[in-house]
Amino acid sequence: MTSAHVRAQIAQPGDVVSDVTSGPIEFTFGGKRFRIHAVLSRWCEAGGWWNRISDGNFHPDDQARAVWKVEAAPIGTLQTFELERDDLTGAWIIKAI
Amino acid sequence: MSFIHLHTASAFSLKYGTTQPSDLVARASQLEAPALALTDRDGLLGAIRFTKACLDYGIAPIIGVNLAINLESTRGAPQKKLPRLTILAGSDGGWRNLVRLMSSLNLSTGAPVLTLDFLERFSEYTDNLYVLHGLDAPIAPAIAAHRADSALDTFNKTRQFFKAHAIECVSHLAKGDGPGSMTHAGRSLIFARDHDIDAVITNAVRMRGPEDGPVADILDCARQLVPLHPRHIGRTNAEAYLKSTPAMQALADEIARAGGERNARALLSTTRAWAEQTLLSPTRDIGLGSIHLPEPHVVGVENAQQMRSLLRQRSEAKINWRYSGAQAVKSARERLDDELATVATLGYESYFLTVADIADMARERGIRVSARGSGAGSLITHLLGISGVDPLAHGLLMERFCSPLRRALPDIDIDVESHRRLEIYDLVFKKYGDSRWDIPGNQSRCATVASFDTYRTRQSIRDAGAALGLPAAEISLIARSPYGLREKNVKTPLAAMVIAMARRLEGLPRHISMHPCAVVLSDGGLLDRVPLQLNASGYPMVEFDKDDVEDIGLLKLDILGVRMQSSISYAISEISRVHNEEIDIDAIALDDPHTYELIQSTKTIGIFQIESPGQRELVGKLEPRTFTDLIIDISLFRPGPVKSDMISPFLKSRHGWSARKIIHPDLYEILRDTEGVVVFHEQVISIIATMTHCSLAHADEMRRALGNREGQQRVCDWFYPAAAKHGYSLDVIKEVWEVLRAFASFGFCKAHAAAFALPTYQSAWLKTHYPAAFLAGLLTHDPGMYPKRLILDEVRQMGISIAPLDVNSSEDTYRVEIADDGTQSIRIALSTINGISSEEITNIIAARPYKDLADFYYRSGASQPIIESMILTGAFDRLHAITKGGAINRRDLLLHFSDLVRGPTMPSALRSQMTLGFDAPAIEASGLADLDSSEKVAHEVKRLGMDITHHMLEFYSHFLNSIGAIKSSDLLSVRSASTVLVAGVRVSIQTPPIRSGNRVIFLTLDDGHGCSDATFFSDVASEYLSTIYTSELVLLRGITRRTGARGISIRATGIWDLRSAYEKWNTQRSTLAI
Repeated sequence: MTSAHVRAQIAQPGDVVSDVTSGPIEFTFGGKRFRIHAVLSRWCEAGGWWNRISDGNFHPDDQARAVWKVEAAPIGTLQTFELERDDLTGAWIIKAI
Repeated sequence: MSFIHLHTASAFSLKYGTTQPSDLVARASQLEAPALALTDRDGLLGAIRFTKACLDYGIAPIIGVNLAINLESTRGAPQKKLPRLTILAGSDGGWRNLVRLMSSLNLSTGAPVLTLDFLERFSEYTDNLYVLHGLDAPIAPAIAAHRADSALDTFNKTRQFFKAHAIECVSHLAKGDGPGSMTHAGRSLIFARDHDIDAVITNAVRMRGPEDGPVADILDCARQLVPLHPRHIGRTNAEAYLKSTPAMQALADEIARAGGERNARALLSTTRAWAEQTLLSPTRDIGLGSIHLPEPHVVGVENAQQMRSLLRQRSEAKINWRYSGAQAVKSARERLDDELATVATLGYESYFLTVADIADMARERGIRVSARGSGAGSLITHLLGISGVDPLAHGLLMERFCSPLRRALPDIDIDVESHRRLEIYDLVFKKYGDSRWDIPGNQSRCATVASFDTYRTRQSIRDAGAALGLPAAEISLIARSPYGLREKNVKTPLAAMVIAMARRLEGLPRHISMHPCAVVLSDGGLLDRVPLQLNASGYPMVEFDKDDVEDIGLLKLDILGVRMQSSISYAISEISRVHNEEIDIDAIALDDPHTYELIQSTKTIGIFQIESPGQRELVGKLEPRTFTDLIIDISLFRPGPVKSDMISPFLKSRHGWSARKIIHPDLYEILRDTEGVVVFHEQVISIIATMTHCSLAHADEMRRALGNREGQQRVCDWFYPAAAKHGYSLDVIKEVWEVLRAFASFGFCKAHAAAFALPTYQSAWLKTHYPAAFLAGLLTHDPGMYPKRLILDEVRQMGISIAPLDVNSSEDTYRVEIADDGTQSIRIALSTINGISSEEITNIIAARPYKDLADFYYRSGASQPIIESMILTGAFDRLHAITKGGAINRRDLLLHFSDLVRGPTMPSALRSQMTLGFDAPAIEASGLADLDSSEKVAHEVKRLGMDITHHMLEFYSHFLNSIGAIKSSDLLSVRSASTVLVAGVRVSIQTPPIRSGNRVIFLTLDDGHGCSDATFFSDVASEYLSTIYTSELVLLRGITRRTGARGISIRATGIWDLRSAYEKWNTQRSTLAI
């Protein structure tokens, strides 16, 4: 996905559920609830404080932030199926469980 | 188990680390770390203060260095940033190898950059050193690029050196998969495991906490001289700080998982094992609290016993030379026995012998040496010829200098002739040093000492301002505004941020330089204990500062260059040359009445220590009659005594205006010379010892304790009962205690004052008896606070004439000339000509004599502007018989010179033999008028920097007479409290501390008849500030005030620029005439 397609949204209180040690677990995005299945990577960022000097506040705003890159899917969209193939004919049967 | 950080940069990684070593140690202690490593970039500058802080906090120190390494075989500076390795000193001996490695690296290659060639040559130093390959290691890029094979090749290049290697797994949680990311840390771990190399975890720390990030950014910019931009700064986040044990364990877990391991147990236990192998002992390894003096064989004997006898022998041999009379010799012997016993207890024999040896070496070369400081209080230093002051005659105490109760090494400071100071350095380095830095294991016993320049307000504002892109003019404005006014100039948030950031830089070290005068002297193990580098002057220099070297027991000798010593030495050589008299200035009697008469007359310009306007006023009031008076005078003229008003009671009693007040008869002898006022440290010591019957050494400990509030309480609690026990009444004790408490901190070390009083007396003696030689010395070496033109004026005042610059007579220095009729003059030196080089001077003198200007032009090698200056200031007048109203004049000579310059140039090879076939154009009288005397003076001022033929004020004498201005020499005849007008050239402005705390400006004017001193109090000063500071020639109005029999000063009520006053007067006069 190119950056032109990135959609960003500021989370409302309660939108992100996280755990102190392991980080975020669930979040709401675009009206849908997502569950995190895998953390691909995580990192920290800071700096650029000198671009934010405007209010005469003498404490530089270093804007430290932690970032998680995750794979997530809408809750309820994950289902279990059985896929069955007939060895003789080669035909498939899909069973929702 | 608590985590131990193995990779930590402090602020002594100059312009990189953000935190003082002691603050890092304090933080580590908060985190309950049992040990902490200091691994600064490029040097070990912070090692000693780090170790001391570790000792204070009960943490074990680990010390290493982070060094750049150049693995390329090509020579020359590589363009890209060099990779780095962190090298830790192993326990039991690793410190020695580390400092030797650093010294050899600095001295044999000139830069702290490792190369394979260097490691090869000095491989013996790499034993017991442990290497970490971390974020900036040569292997890091290959690991990032998935090139394990190439990483291994690189790793193997250094593998044969050092005791052990480990891969440093660092995750600063940076984005992506480069060094600093979790991915990279994981891959580093995998690389280590695949190739059976130790792996440890560190946090590559450069900050105390995440809040220091912006400071790190400013330092990055200050180091590279660039503005803030993501491209220029080294961090992408604020993770490189001293993290807690849980945080480091969590990181370790993550790194282990990223590296395919189930948990971090192996990673953490290897880290722990590495820490245990590199723990250092502050005393055994680093040498805190030890003392290392030169060995006996250095002073020519075999063992400590012989050294003791040698010191006794050398001291005793001089007793009869310095003292005469049975009683004097007896008390000198007793004092010597006491001092020798103290020295023996402390084991400082080689200290005294070494310093004496250096003083002797200097004297053999004819360089004047005199002691300064408390060292003059010791009879041994006097007998060994280090100090010229007799401690017995002046009541100086050994205990103030050195006592068994104080383990700190005593300081002997020596003053030498300033222009020959480096000769002494060379002698010391030749005898005690070594220059074979290419040979591993070499020995040296001396080095110069470093000093750390720290960020102060101005510099930090400049660096923060430049990084943040504040306009240069605004930076200067803020940096220059005095404290308190600075906020007024802060108008934008950006400027406010500059100040906020500047404050966080303050106190951080920013630069290492050479201590101006300290040299350490130690034993053959010096190079095993301190890292050296080559300083800008080319001398090996310890990377520690003066406090650090003292902490590890290195004897420090301060060798100070004093221009007055050069001047005295020059005067003596002139006396010998001109009068054929050999003066032993160190043996002159200290009671010459003529000398004291001169001092009392306040004509003390040029005399050491007592030439300033304030001192001239004080000697006028005090009227010194003895050497002791001089010592008192020097002790009184300092901010402390002035502020606490010790001077008035002293002077009142001295002149009999009020009765001398001595609290108790027992103290009479101690306080007699100073009219009952406590002036000296020695008096405080003696008072305490007399009233409590304690030893002088103990009394000195008590005196030191008086310096701070809690110490005072402790001494008070002890002093009252101790004095009461010896029968003193409570009233007396109370009164004495008040005096001790009040004056202890202002008192002055009498030994130091006495050491200073000696050159004061010597220079006064020379000025009294050999004024021409003495003033020639002053003009040559320029030791004092006044400009040369004032000294020249002093020459005229003393009835000595000034011989003009002359091409065949002037030398490189000011020479005394005696005419056949006995009149003395001082010849202006060639070196006075602005812009002349020492090479030109040497050539001019070598090719003498010259028969005319053309001859000079062809043979002297002097440049055109120099020759023009010489023509215009009369250097050729005698040669060409230029006199007033003569056939030709300086203008003709100048025209002739331009003909010469335009004429055919001669091949330089021929110049020296001045061909016969070539004739210079003849000099013709052009008929142009000669320079008038004001033009002559203008040229002198411009080209020689002073007015020689006429005083600048002479041209205004008509004006000054008609407005009734008074000559400075006539001021004494004016009644006190009368209003006067004086004029003069501004020679000095001072704003010394005075009692009321108000700012006062002292202005000294010279009018060709002497000096007048005026005082501006703040109300007048503020009105005339710009005139005071900008006008060279001024007219001053003021009210006179007698300050003593021979002293008068003026309280200024107005000041004007003389030139504009003159012009105004002239126009008014001509208007009136019409």
